[in-house]
Amino acid sequence: MTISLAVPDILVARAKSGDLEALEALYRAFETPVYSLALRMLRSPEDAEDVLQETFLEVVRSIKQYRGEGHLWGWIRQIAASKALMRIRRNQVRATEELHEEAAAGPGGSGVPARVDLERAFERLSETSRAVVWLHDVEGYTHEEIAEQMGRTVSFSKSQLARAHARLRGMLEDEGAAS
Amino acid sequence: MMHCTMDDLLALQAGEASAWARSHAEVCAACRAELDALYQRVAQLKALPTRRPPRDRWPVVRDAVLARRRRRSRWGAWSVAAAATVAGLLVFRPFGTGQANAADLASIKRESATLEQQLERYDPDARVMSGRAAAVAAALEDRIAVIDGELARFGPPDAQPRPAELVKLWQQRVDLMQQLVGVHVTRAAYVGL
Repeated sequence: MTISLAVPDILVARAKSGDLEALEALYRAFETPVYSLALRMLRSPEDAEDVLQETFLEVVRSIKQYRGEGHLWGWIRQIAASKALMRIRRNQVRATEELHEEAAAGPGGSGVPARVDLERAFERLSETSRAVVWLHDVEGYTHEEIAEQMGRTVSFSKSQLARAHARLRGMLEDEGAAS
Repeated sequence: MMHCTMDDLLALQAGEASAWARSHAEVCAACRAELDALYQRVAQLKALPTRRPPRDRWPVVRDAVLARRRRRSRWGAWSVAAAATVAGLLVFRPFGTGQANAADLASIKRESATLEQQLERYDPDARVMSGRAAAVAAALEDRIAVIDGELARFGPPDAQPRPAELVKLWQQRVDLMQQLVGVHVTRAAYVGL
């Protein structure tokens, strides 16, 4: 997901001063990318909505600390990813996740475009795997950054990514064979 | 013949592969095809559409922000009695035949006011905390602010009462405030305040 949202400095300055209209403008500018990120990392739309809300509560509280270094989206994305990972940790019961993966990994339908197949396969991954794949492959996080955000090791991030890609590959192969 | 593992393919993609993996991928058509498939999967993931949130969460965020500002203002300047009065004005309503016990609600609100009083002692704006404690306190304050926002959205006192929901919200508020007081007490004990 490539985001190239330019936000005027004056709007950020107004938001820092607590101006509600400016804060709402920031919310409107970033609600879709934040929700999309959360939805890709988490299983449920309700969780993604909660992450959206928590992210902007944090943005409102901490915007004064944003020093304008880097793109504002990068700063907000960091908060959103952190909130989503916190929720994953809260939701996480590893055995249950494995069961979800196994239960959901049935053969798919035939004659659907490749993008839909991949999206469906991606949704069958555990939340942890989804988070690692999305942050690394789409958002461009390094394994070091993912490990730090998740409170895990770099090798954990690398093995999760490899495992997730092996599962994606397997699921897509199954779908191809079934069609 | 040994082929590249997924770890090898990801390392090739990242430009960090071993010499063996690099030389093997040059001569092995199967592994090159796997590497191409990996590139394609990543490209397709990047091309997945963005999703719009189904509901507008800004009103909740805004109300929480306003509620937090009111609460901070109370912490700074008001007495417990004033805080309790405001809380009462915010949510008081006749219960009629509702199942919730008005006495219970009054009790919860008194408890909430007592907790507000305790929090005043910890001067939240001048506190010194570890990053972790500050994050926990901030998360709790956010959740309290969201509940305050929901309480404020109940409408005027003569609006249709929903006593059970009201009691539940106040109870959640008290639970969160107890946790918040706990964070401050722990911090104060730690630094000897």
